[in-house]
Amino acid sequence: MNMKWLEDWFEKIEPKGKWAWLGSTYEAFHTFAFTPKTVTKSGSHIRDAVDMKRSIIIVVIALIPALLFGMWNIGYQHFLGVEGQTFDHTILECWWFGFLRMLPLIVVSYAVGLSIEFAFAQYRHHEVNEGYLATGLLIPMIVPVTTPLWQVALAVAFAVIIGKEVFGGSGMNFLNPALVARAFLFFAYPTHMSGDKVWIANDLWGSDAIAGATPMGELAAGSHPSASALDMLIGTIPGSTCETSVIAIALGAILLLMTGIASWRIMLSVFLGGGAMGLLFNAIGYNDYMQLPFYYHFLMGGFAFGAVFMATDPVTAAQTNSGKWIYGLLIGAFAVLLRVCNPAYPEGMMLSILFMNCMAPLIDHCVVSRNIKRRERRIGR
Amino acid sequence: MRHDIKIKKGLDIPLGGIPEREILDLRGVERYAVKPPDVVGFTPRLLVAEGDTVVAGQPLVQDKRDERLFLPSTVCGTVESIVRGEKRRLLEVVVCRNTQSNQNTPSTLTPEAPVWWMIKERPFGTIANPDHTPKGIYVSLRDTNPLAPDLDFALKGREQEFEAGVKALEAFAPVHLVKAEGPHPAGNIGTIVAALDPINKGEYVWSVNAQDVANIGRWCLTGEYKPERVIAVGGPAAKCPKYYRVICGACIQHISEAQMMDASYPRLSRETRVSRETRIISGSPLSGSTIADDGFLGMYDQQVCFIEEGDKYDFMGWLMPGIKKFSFSKTFLSGLLRPFKALEPMMPIKPTYSFNTNMHGSVRPFLFTGSFERVFPFDIYPLQLIKACIVGDVELQEKLGIYEVEPEDFALCEFIDPSKTEIQTIIREALEVLRKEAIS
Repeated sequence: MNMKWLEDWFEKIEPKGKWAWLGSTYEAFHTFAFTPKTVTKSGSHIRDAVDMKRSIIIVVIALIPALLFGMWNIGYQHFLGVEGQTFDHTILECWWFGFLRMLPLIVVSYAVGLSIEFAFAQYRHHEVNEGYLATGLLIPMIVPVTTPLWQVALAVAFAVIIGKEVFGGSGMNFLNPALVARAFLFFAYPTHMSGDKVWIANDLWGSDAIAGATPMGELAAGSHPSASALDMLIGTIPGSTCETSVIAIALGAILLLMTGIASWRIMLSVFLGGGAMGLLFNAIGYNDYMQLPFYYHFLMGGFAFGAVFMATDPVTAAQTNSGKWIYGLLIGAFAVLLRVCNPAYPEGMMLSILFMNCMAPLIDHCVVSRNIKRRERRIGR
Repeated sequence: MRHDIKIKKGLDIPLGGIPEREILDLRGVERYAVKPPDVVGFTPRLLVAEGDTVVAGQPLVQDKRDERLFLPSTVCGTVESIVRGEKRRLLEVVVCRNTQSNQNTPSTLTPEAPVWWMIKERPFGTIANPDHTPKGIYVSLRDTNPLAPDLDFALKGREQEFEAGVKALEAFAPVHLVKAEGPHPAGNIGTIVAALDPINKGEYVWSVNAQDVANIGRWCLTGEYKPERVIAVGGPAAKCPKYYRVICGACIQHISEAQMMDASYPRLSRETRVSRETRIISGSPLSGSTIADDGFLGMYDQQVCFIEEGDKYDFMGWLMPGIKKFSFSKTFLSGLLRPFKALEPMMPIKPTYSFNTNMHGSVRPFLFTGSFERVFPFDIYPLQLIKACIVGDVELQEKLGIYEVEPEDFALCEFIDPSKTEIQTIIREALEVLRKEAIS
């Protein structure tokens, strides 16, 4: 493909003189179209083909199965709620309805988030970081479908500014920005984020909802989940927009693990930690929730989504290999602990990951200290 | 003492242009240079002027800090030019050969010997300080750098000299001859020392290139200073990759004329190195230095690599499948197909890698973790050490093991880094701070 004309066009419009301050914005679009022609100057003369854009885009691609299924499920839940079991709408109609519901959420998330990212990059004369391409898609995927757009916009602004930019931008933050956005919504507008009347859209626009409880909501209320384990595995249950289907999430997980973008240590250990805690509660068996088969925890709520896409965020996770095991195990364990033992928060995954984000530097510190001790002992011998 | 070790972590980069096993003799080259900047921590004092007649082994430059250390002329001839760079920094002393050296008598290895500069010291990578007592002298019998020479092949016929060299070195410390199995950086001195007996603060380790052991041996046996090396010349942009037998510091003009794809390629002076189509690297493509096509071999280098300059745009490079792109990560199709190498004959498009000097991306903060550890066979946390070097926390660097590493040990980390950080530069700068602190 000969793209010489585009190369020339970009070189022609490069901002100079009084427009030079627009450099970051220009650079962002230019590197989007072309990997730059910069050559190595010192050190290694040859470089690996991978860069940040490539790595981040793999995460975005991995989210697509869950996104597409989530769109269908929004429509499916809507028609099911409005018309009951006898509704007759094709898969495509369900998906189209969900697509139209999701689109504004995604557009608002990207528009607000990217504007802030560009503004900060421009202000700092930095290049615009790709990190938000993943974060901006994650945020609309983990909120209830009826979340008002202005709340999404506020949450995104909070997450990007307070969660990330005040620390210096992508790579410097210690909390997962997507979860910061969700936590902001959760604590600022609790009525829009939990309960039974937020998960199913009543119509194409607006934030009216049809009543419909998530399995976790039912459990927190003391009853058994009405959905079967199979429904939860496939994801045909009410819940946050795109995190219901464990199968769709698993497809993304396969891509992330195959490409090595996400840490298999974290992913595996989150499930191990959650499973172990679930089994422990099974053994205690004090109430119905404790007696719930341990694998239900993997299928309900945001456990799988959190384990695959949130806990594995490399910036906010532990950075050492042994640290990653500890970090993952504790996320899984705390998530299940919160679910079962704290009725105020039906879902524990978000808080568990955010808590471990805060603990990750401490874990790393302990792991690295052991290495330092080993070195000191060597001198002492 | 001979050791065989096995290293698992690392990466062999499938760089094209592996040299054929055939040695061309280029010992007749006329011009030679000594390059003080190649020697870490060497503050040169010039001992000759342009036009002076010198003999092989005669000091050309001396270290201002320790006058016993010097860099000798490798041939007999006249000093043709003294090349200086910015701030009058001494870059090269060029000697033009006009006579053959005369035979001397057998000698012993002392710090005053012209071969002393071949012994390097860790930490810091300086010339061995005669006042230090090293806990060992390490010689790697396998160079694992991409396109590096096969040392067994290069040393064929010099066994006797090699033996003599080892014997001479044993007078200073136990000599460890190490053959490392496994992917690069298995053959690096840093990897070997870390695997056998890591360096602690206050300890010193010396190392000598295997070919230089033979050169030291030759000097001890005959008293003749004639340091020769068999260098591997290769790379994706080399016309006929081969081995060449040269004397240290030789001008590569004959090599580049034979290897450049375009024979009528305009000759560029050393100052206008930019905007050429082929880059010539003296040393490993992972850590060597760029030289002009009529430049000189680096002091410690035993390979020359020709690589295409990559100053071209790549349309939507971050989105394309990338069957021709090599990446340690599996984010490109080529990487995903790598485990299925056996099925390659059946594939409609085969993964063949093209390498050039493009950065393949822009500089970013560190985001991803866990990949450095897979190519870094040390008991060190690489990312944490790099960060300690960036912030200049000397105490933390010491705790994390800065004395065990050299920039070249981080070459693969730098290669695979998706954030495109100049890791070797960062490590070098941190080591320089520590070195200056140690001598002041």
